[in-house]
Amino acid sequence: MTEVDLAFVNRLVERLGRKPEAVIPMLQALQEHYRYLPQPALERLAEISDISPAAIAGVSTFFDQFRHRPMGLHLIRVCHGTACHVKGSSLIREALLNHLGIPVSGEEDTDSEGRFTIQKVACLGCCTLAPVLQIDNVTYGHLTPERVPVVLRDFLELDRRRAAGGKKPPRPPTDRAAGEIRIGLDSCCVARGSGDVREALEDAVAETGAPVAVKRVGCVGMCYQTPLVEVVLPGEPSHLYAVVEPADAKAIVLRHFKPKGIRRITAAVSRALENALTDEAWEPVTRYSIEARDPPVAAFLGRQQHLATEHWGRLEPTDLEEYLALDGFAALKRCLGGTAPEEVIDQVRRSGLRGRGGAGYETGAKWSRVHQARGERKYVICNGDEGDPGAFMDRMLLESYPYRIIEGMTVAAYAVGAEQGYFYIRAEYPLAVRRVRDALAQAEDNGLLGENILGSGFSLHLQIMEGAGAFVCGEETALLASIEGRRGMPRLRPPYPAESGLWGKPTLVNNVETYALVPWILRNGPEAFAAIGTEKSKGTKVFALAGKVTRGGLIEVPMGVTIRQIVEEIGGGAANGKRFKAVQVGGPSGGCVPAELADTPVDYEALTEVGAIMGSGGLVVLDEGDCMVDIARYFLEFTQDQSCGKCTPCRIGTRRMLDILERLCAGEGKKGDLEELEYLAGTVKKASLCGLGGTAPNPVLSTLKYFRDEYEAHLAGRCPAGRCKALITYSITEDCIGCTLCAQHCPAGAIQMNPYQQHEIDTEKCIRCGTCKSTCPAEAVKVE
Amino acid sequence: MPKVVIDNREVEVEQDSTILDAARKLGIEIPTLCFLEGCSPSTSCMVCLVKLKDQYELVPACATKVVDGMVVESETDQVHQARKASLELLLSNHLGDCEAPCQTACPAHMDIPLMIRQIAADRLAEAIVTVKKDIPLPAVLGRICPAPCERACRRGTRDEAVSICLLKRYVADVDLAAAEPYLPPRKPDKGKAVAIVGAGPTGLSAAYYLLQQGYACTLLDEHPAPGGMLRYGVPAEKLPPSVLMAEIEIIRRLGAEFRMGVRVAADPSLGDLKKEFDAVLVAVGQVKDSAETLGLRASPTGIQISRKTFQASADGVFAGGDAVRPSRLSVRAVADGKAAATCIDQYLCGHEVAAPERPFSTHMGKLTQAEIEALMTGVSPSPRASAEAAGEGLTRQQAGAEAARCLHCDCRKGDSCKLREYAEAYGARAGRHKGQRRSFEQYADHREVIYEPGKCIACGLCVQIAAAAGEPLGLTFIGRGFNMRVAVPFGKSLADGLTTSAAKCVAACPTGALAFKRDD
Repeated sequence: MTEVDLAFVNRLVERLGRKPEAVIPMLQALQEHYRYLPQPALERLAEISDISPAAIAGVSTFFDQFRHRPMGLHLIRVCHGTACHVKGSSLIREALLNHLGIPVSGEEDTDSEGRFTIQKVACLGCCTLAPVLQIDNVTYGHLTPERVPVVLRDFLELDRRRAAGGKKPPRPPTDRAAGEIRIGLDSCCVARGSGDVREALEDAVAETGAPVAVKRVGCVGMCYQTPLVEVVLPGEPSHLYAVVEPADAKAIVLRHFKPKGIRRITAAVSRALENALTDEAWEPVTRYSIEARDPPVAAFLGRQQHLATEHWGRLEPTDLEEYLALDGFAALKRCLGGTAPEEVIDQVRRSGLRGRGGAGYETGAKWSRVHQARGERKYVICNGDEGDPGAFMDRMLLESYPYRIIEGMTVAAYAVGAEQGYFYIRAEYPLAVRRVRDALAQAEDNGLLGENILGSGFSLHLQIMEGAGAFVCGEETALLASIEGRRGMPRLRPPYPAESGLWGKPTLVNNVETYALVPWILRNGPEAFAAIGTEKSKGTKVFALAGKVTRGGLIEVPMGVTIRQIVEEIGGGAANGKRFKAVQVGGPSGGCVPAELADTPVDYEALTEVGAIMGSGGLVVLDEGDCMVDIARYFLEFTQDQSCGKCTPCRIGTRRMLDILERLCAGEGKKGDLEELEYLAGTVKKASLCGLGGTAPNPVLSTLKYFRDEYEAHLAGRCPAGRCKALITYSITEDCIGCTLCAQHCPAGAIQMNPYQQHEIDTEKCIRCGTCKSTCPAEAVKVE
Repeated sequence: MPKVVIDNREVEVEQDSTILDAARKLGIEIPTLCFLEGCSPSTSCMVCLVKLKDQYELVPACATKVVDGMVVESETDQVHQARKASLELLLSNHLGDCEAPCQTACPAHMDIPLMIRQIAADRLAEAIVTVKKDIPLPAVLGRICPAPCERACRRGTRDEAVSICLLKRYVADVDLAAAEPYLPPRKPDKGKAVAIVGAGPTGLSAAYYLLQQGYACTLLDEHPAPGGMLRYGVPAEKLPPSVLMAEIEIIRRLGAEFRMGVRVAADPSLGDLKKEFDAVLVAVGQVKDSAETLGLRASPTGIQISRKTFQASADGVFAGGDAVRPSRLSVRAVADGKAAATCIDQYLCGHEVAAPERPFSTHMGKLTQAEIEALMTGVSPSPRASAEAAGEGLTRQQAGAEAARCLHCDCRKGDSCKLREYAEAYGARAGRHKGQRRSFEQYADHREVIYEPGKCIACGLCVQIAAAAGEPLGLTFIGRGFNMRVAVPFGKSLADGLTTSAAKCVAACPTGALAFKRDD
């Protein structure tokens, strides 16, 4: 190993100070600098700061973000979120490893040339693009194992181009606005190429001199249509263009804005214009123009109600002026203008708002507890450590509506009497971090945050803490521990953070979405909020709809809407004509609601009753091709991996549950395994210290309850969904037309090329990746 | 001051007391592994679980603060099951044997690793005490025992088992050759007498242990000389009669009376013996129709007894050894004699009669080659001393060399491990959960202390203690979840991590994970 230059550590300590609580930001900075944590750097840090070796070693090995061995030139992060899992992320990872010559089973994660390091990540929060991987900061979606080499080639090409050219800086906005071209630019849109489309649009506007501004907006929600471009002209219905490519930009601009002067429309542009208007099925992607009146879009939007996502698709996320112009900070102004804290709390209580983080504790009651708690210093914390695989609501809200959340938090701080606060945001969400950071600075510059807000005498200082990658830190006591610079271990409650939280002081911890709803409630009145929803669940809920659904996206629906309405009306039902089987609600703490119970309304109690939970809002649709035992195994693998390890039931109990589920999926189940699984589930649920363990058995219990026949089939050595590798074989039927496509694509060389003859699969070599099945044009590949 | 009800008993406690404090005040014992007075509760082991009225989840008593009016259940079936569940989960990832496999396999359950350590330290006077605690005829068995212990010996999975049997013979031979062979102490005379019918290995063994308990023992045998099948069933070249006689002589010196040439049938009958003695043990060996002859109920294999109490069908009459069930193992006969002696003692003291049960023990099972190597630290790699090479028994040098081959798989804290204690108390099954487990590892670089992470239950007491002691490096948790382990930061050695607080850490460690190195 080459000598590590330690001067950086010295500079870092000078910059961040010697305090023990700075350990996580310190390690993050070290990791960013060295791309891993070299031991000499850690030892130096211990030497010159007040952080103990035990804390450095303990914290740096607790969080997934930190790496203790050198990393390849590029980092490939393979998403293993729920949506990605059901769409074959493990096959993608295997294909990557095979392609890069890294042993599939083993510790090694970097190819021998040190070009790529492969990392499994819990969720990239791009569920509608599943399966997804990210190479450095480029995201690739809708992958298949056979596309893996193409993706790597594409990335290297892009990397070369970047190194040669460098990126164009975004143009300053123009004010010659005869209209707007809006383009959604949050992480998932960017992952689908919206950034390039924006550049192309800006180029097109510049070239044609069209009197229009290209505007970056937040999440549009219609992930299945992105890159989505909306052209808004005064006095006209807006025009939406879906799945736009950079090459279409000029055509779109020209369609709506006549070129200035005597510029001639070149032949090429004219052709492009023709294409955009006429060619509806342009391989490899379809691009078409849609309008909100079109039935699919109307259905997607019909049931939705936008409170937390108010002004969706319209707001430029960090444009404070625009937010202010749309009644932004009105709620805060009203509070600071003479509404007593008690009155604010009362309004929140009357609205019936309950925590959107999962457990559904009444927000007003929580605020009241913090308000009443004695303490010379109090804190407010925004819990944006959205670690559930299959959920990206918090990320989207933070990226698209940072001011709204700041406003909600400030109102809360005023109500409970806090003057300090933290945004706790996963480091995996860099764009969210950046936008919140920008928004905080803007708000402070404009007197909406900081000392003496709006001249009211009330002060609030907010800062960002980047979570270093531990699902358990979504649990509030673990979150607090990590802010204090300790391993993210939960502790026994009571005392609740409301009484004894950060540094032992009364602390309000609310979820992102909860804060995002507060301004609406105060502006429109608690009654208006309480009028939406069911008896005990008021208002709206934001869900990330993904999985095997036709129209995935980010939606906000009134409470009380049924799961069926969400899946079938908004989502357009299961994709590719398959049968909708179940919906996984609430991620690793939630459960699977079978199609028969799809009329269950979105309501805290109703969902709990059927064995799921509201959770933070991941909705993953499963179809007939999904094995419920595999789903249970998947979630247990996740919670088992994310268990902090503090208490026995969770640390070892989830492992023992996973042992059984792995046996079942491998066809090695034994008589009595299901009973043992139920027994363990009960033990872990009852005896775990925190909510992670307490809810970890839910995915198992709910699938055991509704899909016990599938478990029994696995005991008998069958996987009815044809999903568990050890229990299935691929073969080619007589329908084979001898086209050799399967043989060409098989990554394992298990099919001999045999033109015009029926092909055969060597079961010994077959890795059951399903490539042959997806490439076969004659549906001649059978899975049993 | 808040009042709390635990198991229907009310108690008033100080503000901020925990349920554990309240229970202690009431004299209700709640088991704890990870809790230690003076350290902050780590709520890790979840063995101190209790149930609060109207709450689904159970809570750890060590950290749950008492609230006025709280109603707690501690000694209920549900709570006990939950504690047992925690213990069984801990045990499922507990890499260590309470008792070495050789000791478990030995029908007499002799503490073989201890004997071997005593041999290695050349403390043979102690070794003979260890041996004779369970085997009264070690010189005999050292020559004829087929040594099931050696088949279980973990060293055997690396190269060849330790020559346990020859080591035992060495200890016994050295003892017999001494001017004053070891004679165990006798308790004061209890004024009661036991007749033992049959002076074979079972009878001799029973006499040896009954005599120590302060009973008078009379052995009756139809043969002219004592020894039973040891004398009449084993060729003299394998077991010289002089060796047998020397060990019987010790039993005689302990006070045994021998009535040879007496066949117990009609005269004297079992009834006669019952009149003359307070209890009778039938240990006649494999004699045809012995049950009928003695007027006892028969089983398909011999005299019928209750296996838990060794009691035959007549009151005050016990039976053991081959008379009950034939076995080719003399060592089993010897073990039976000892167990029967315990039952007779209980009977004569008026206690409930129950043969001693095996103490709870975990078993690591088969280890990988790498794991075995972890146990080889400081162990001699030399090959096994064979019986042929030993010839007339091991020399002192050979015995020392052979003793150095032992892996000492038994736990250093077998007597003080709280996990073992509670596992036993709550009837936990060590093998309930099968599945992934960690690897056996051993860190022996510290001068006084040895660390076996496989036995760690992640309570973190040592981490806390080392930090409180101001250790420059101390200990920390590395990793997360199932793979979490306690280690010295930055991969440094245990000696670097624990410079001043090692002894405190060992004392606090509830299992054998941190233990003192052996000096025995």
